[in-house]
Amino acid sequence: MQNNYEINIIHLYPDLLNLYGDRGNIACMEKRLEWRGIKANVRTCTNKDHSIDLSGADIIFVGGGSDREQEIVCNLLLKKKDELIKHVESDGVLVAVCGGYQLLGKYYKTANTKIEGLGILDIYTDSGDTRLISNVVLECDKFKMPIVGFENHAGRTYLGEGVTPLGKVLFGNGNTGDSGYEGVLYKNVIATYLHGPLLPKNPQLCDYILERALKRKYSDFEGLEPLDDGIETLANDYIANKYAGGKRTLNP
Amino acid sequence: MNIIRLILAVWAAKLASVAGRIIGKKSSSSPGVLALKICPSLISTLKKNVKKGVIVTCGTNGKTTTNNLLNSSLKKYGYATVCNTLGANMVGGIATAFAQACNIFGRFKADYAVLEVDEASARRVFKHIKPDYMLITNLFRDQLDRYGEIDITVDLLNEAIDMADGVKLILNGDDPLTAQFGEGRDAVYFGISEQVLPETNETKEGRFCLKCGAEQEYNYFHYSQLGDYYCPNCGNKRPDIDYAATDVDLSESMKFTVGGKRIDVNYRGFYNIYNILAVYAALNTIGIKTDNFNEILSDYKPQIGRMELIPMGGKPFILNLAKNPAGFNQAIQTVLLDKRPKDVIVAINDLANDGRDVSWLWDVDFDKLEGANLRQLITSGIRRYDMWLRFRYADMKVDLATEDMKFALSRCFSDKDAEVCYVLVNYTALYPTQTAMLEYKKEADAALPVPADKGGALSAE
Repeated sequence: MQNNYEINIIHLYPDLLNLYGDRGNIACMEKRLEWRGIKANVRTCTNKDHSIDLSGADIIFVGGGSDREQEIVCNLLLKKKDELIKHVESDGVLVAVCGGYQLLGKYYKTANTKIEGLGILDIYTDSGDTRLISNVVLECDKFKMPIVGFENHAGRTYLGEGVTPLGKVLFGNGNTGDSGYEGVLYKNVIATYLHGPLLPKNPQLCDYILERALKRKYSDFEGLEPLDDGIETLANDYIANKYAGGKRTLNP
Repeated sequence: MNIIRLILAVWAAKLASVAGRIIGKKSSSSPGVLALKICPSLISTLKKNVKKGVIVTCGTNGKTTTNNLLNSSLKKYGYATVCNTLGANMVGGIATAFAQACNIFGRFKADYAVLEVDEASARRVFKHIKPDYMLITNLFRDQLDRYGEIDITVDLLNEAIDMADGVKLILNGDDPLTAQFGEGRDAVYFGISEQVLPETNETKEGRFCLKCGAEQEYNYFHYSQLGDYYCPNCGNKRPDIDYAATDVDLSESMKFTVGGKRIDVNYRGFYNIYNILAVYAALNTIGIKTDNFNEILSDYKPQIGRMELIPMGGKPFILNLAKNPAGFNQAIQTVLLDKRPKDVIVAINDLANDGRDVSWLWDVDFDKLEGANLRQLITSGIRRYDMWLRFRYADMKVDLATEDMKFALSRCFSDKDAEVCYVLVNYTALYPTQTAMLEYKKEADAALPVPADKGGALSAE
């Protein structure tokens, strides 16, 4: 597996947004590149040192945090708004989870404050009076495997007209609890409420993210070599079958 | 009428407990729930039998150990107690403990009630019984899908403390999340007042200043968010420590000094320093002379699954329960202190009492087991494949994933290269694992004579 490919991953504010083991997603992207002989450079942008230049990023990742920490991050991110918009509009890959997802929208309204978002996505979030906490199973027409994960959010995220969701909810709540859809796909932005170690159990989603980044960077890139995803499949199957056993229509 | 209701309720709870034991059910809260249905004022009526004081222990980790150690210490010092030793820590569990303590006339005699109380249930429990002393061990990220977020737990505890007018607080001063409860209230603090462990890069929760949100710094750091913290921005800092552990030495047994006394016990795990300190602080706060404290500690037998040694055919197997990242990181640290070649089994469930969300597995430094002189690595429990992935993406080889704990144990038992086996489990995996271990022990002990030179050299016993 010889190639000179190299992918730069920037993890935004892991020191503030680290509520649910987001490092699993970074580790997953890193290993799945390395196992194919592709170099992965992971760097972080932190509260202490946010001097990093986002223009060199192939994949930007932003995770979830508590309300308190999210407000701090939002102020920090607003300073990087132009850089982030440039990244997204030039087809850079951006993966945003939970709190990070909400921050990409126009605003996030809690019970007593309204946090201004980055406005990258045509979505907005209001807080509900209950938390939506559940295992989740999604159907996404891009993948044979369902997307499985866990959600825990008070926010209800409403999508603007023509905004594509990431998947259809087979089990769980999703964006609002009653819309039947979860997350957003926009250009190469993948945004979702499924927090923490989402990618290890969803290798097809992880490879999709990696391929989008590689295709954008290398014109001669022809696709990722398959890996042995036996264990990933078993972990995915467990959740998919337990919670949405009979509901899947895209079964291979 | 009322007294008849009370006696009926006590009898019903006693009967239900006996029935539960017969059918092998280990829950100790349902008899109390039943008793409360018959007599809703059961706890508040029976608390009149407690003469000297009510002590409540809350906190994410170590509350069962701390509560039971406090209870056994008080008994050794000659006091009569009522205590929910089995760890059922919501209103029902406390009702069970009170009903069990009663004679058939619905009365008991106790100097102290020593109660472990679930953080989220404290405000419900305090409607029935208000504590004179409240000990809080720490607050860590725990069962996120039950509590939402740690800030909610803080709010619930504040509400509970405000209900207990005049309560004396005994708080972990190394934990900013816990120490904040003492502000403007009557409180004493315990803590570990020197650097003990090598620095790690584990997830430091709650390490942002609770006052101003700036990043907190540490003169020295223990684990999670515990240490001598201060905020360079607003000046918020660790409170003055009333009961401080110094001269800590973990090289063989556990040694440290507190209040001029040298403690030397055969416990394992750094976190046990906090449990002992908490008990020492509580006893002193209540006004009990702690003269022979060290002897009292050495007699205490920890409850099951806290680095519990179960030798099998001469080979030491060590069972440990952890419920959250802080607990698992501490267990891993203890495994790393044991240099023997070893097998490790990790069993993870996701039942309601564990929390359905297993994302926290990625907040645990499982990667560190790489340096643990590992021979075999086995995953078990309902979420064994998630656990496997956790290791896979840390480039660690898993030898086996199996639902069958006895099979996993047999693989470790027959592994001649490993001298010890650690079995790390989360909450609902504990009892089935312990049962499997005791069953397998019978088979292993029968099959092999015990070699004299083998055994749990690092044992807690």
